[in-house]
Order: sequence, then C-alpha cells, then structure tokens
Amino acid sequence: MKILVVDDSRIMRNIIKNTLTASKKWHFVDYIEAGDGEEAFELLLKGGVDLLLLDWNMPKLNGIDLVRKLREDLRFHKLPIVMITSEAAKYSVIEAVKAGVNDYLIKPVSERSLLDKLERIGV
Amino acid sequence: MDIKYIEPFVLATQNLFLDSFKEEPEPQNAYLLSKDEDHNWGISGIIGIAGDTRGVVVVSFPEETAKEMVGRLVGRKITDLDEDVVDSIGEVVNIIAGNAKKGLEDYRLSISLPTVITGPAHRISWPAGIPIIGIPFKTSAGRIHLSVGLEDLIKV
Repeated sequence: MKILVVDDSRIMRNIIKNTLTASKKWHFVDYIEAGDGEEAFELLLKGGVDLLLLDWNMPKLNGIDLVRKLREDLRFHKLPIVMITSEAAKYSVIEAVKAGVNDYLIKPVSERSLLDKLERIGV
Repeated sequence: MDIKYIEPFVLATQNLFLDSFKEEPEPQNAYLLSKDEDHNWGISGIIGIAGDTRGVVVVSFPEETAKEMVGRLVGRKITDLDEDVVDSIGEVVNIIAGNAKKGLEDYRLSISLPTVITGPAHRISWPAGIPIIGIPFKTSAGRIHLSVGLEDLIKV
C-alpha cells in the first residue's frame, strides 16, 4: 500500500507519518510526500497511490482545488482522500465534503482520531 | 474593550499547546498593543485574514522559548532558530488561525499562508487602522504572545 502525505509543513508530514508508522497496521506501508498540490498531482500521475492525506492551505495548488481537480479526473475520482487541516469552521468542512473528500480531520490531530478515520473509510 | 472576538484565538492557542506541547498556557490580561513598542520576541509567525473582515494573527516567542517548545515537538535539542523552528512556528500560527474560525462562523474568512520572521529586533508592520490586541501567555518554557486584529470586530 502507498500513502501520499501532502502538507507544506515538513514537520506536519513527519508527525502524520510517524503517527501512522507507530501503529501495527500502518507500519509497513510506503509513504511518499509532497509540499504542495502541484507536486502531489505529479506524484499521483506516476500511479500506485492508494490513499491521499492532504492539507488545505498550501502554496501553488491548495488542497481544496486539488480535490476538485482529482474528482473531475476519472483516474482519481475514487481515490480515498482525507483532508487534514487547521480549517475548523463548519462551512470549510461542508466545502471539502462537496469537493469530494472522504473524510476530514482538524489539526492538531490525535493518533486515535487519525487511525479511527482511516478505519472508517475502509482503507 | 470587546474581547468576544478574541476568545476563539485564545481557545485555539490553549487547545493547540495542550495537544502538541502537553500543557495549557495561561492567558494573561489582554491589552491594546502599541504598534511601535519594543519587544523581546525572537520569532513571530504571521497570518493575514481576509473575507468578511480583514486582520492579522501573530504568535510570537522569545528565542529560547521557541527552541524549547519546538524541541519538545520534534524530540531533539534545538540550538538555533533553524528550519524546523521556522516550519513549526508557521504551523502553530496556521492552526491557531484556522481553529479560531470555528468561533467566528458568522463571518466567512480566509487565512493566508503563514510568514515567519526571526531576529531579536524584528519589526512587524501592523495593518493600518486596525487595533491590535495583545494576549501574553505563561508557559513552562517562558512567555508566548498572541496578537490579534480584526477590522470592525475587535474594537477598543
């Protein structure tokens, strides 16, 4: 399994990866990273990504615009996407769900909440 | 001073520090920031706010406090205001601003990407015409400082 972690903060990408690799289920997964939506899209085009963990506010192409782009693309319209973001307002959650995310986590993210969300979306 | 619109930022700060640094910072009395005053902050993370109002959120740390806090986050001793510190402070102000939007849902707001500035004598150019409220916090690693301005909402 391959997970793409996208966040403009390297520290946050490490926190997410370390949280997952500390658990048995996600320890032996391949992780790749991107610092913005454009870089993420280039990595997705190479194929093989099974799950996208994605920040919202990023330079170049932000997370919500990447989600819309992916859902319009038949190659990615079923890709599981979990948005992990500081955007805590209800209208942001609604916008992300309408754009096509499978689930939404508000930073700061606990280990339990991240693992529970991934269980819930059945990845 | 109407502090109703400052509370979401204070709560967001406390929740973030409790979660990430395992302690709840103690807010001190809020005050009207003098935009020219000298400070002892070594690093500041800045986010602009736009939409139904405009403003700014800044979180500032003395250098030693920032190094201590980030050291706890990354699990190593930090000796300089290095890339990890800049990255972390940017993420701290991003989370505070984004989380605070939950308490301001009557207003449709967007937040900028964070900017981080370092240096013992760094100056922040505050937006003109917007009063800035300063809220110091006490932590075990030293004082941190939150500055918030929202045009037409936070009035003094």
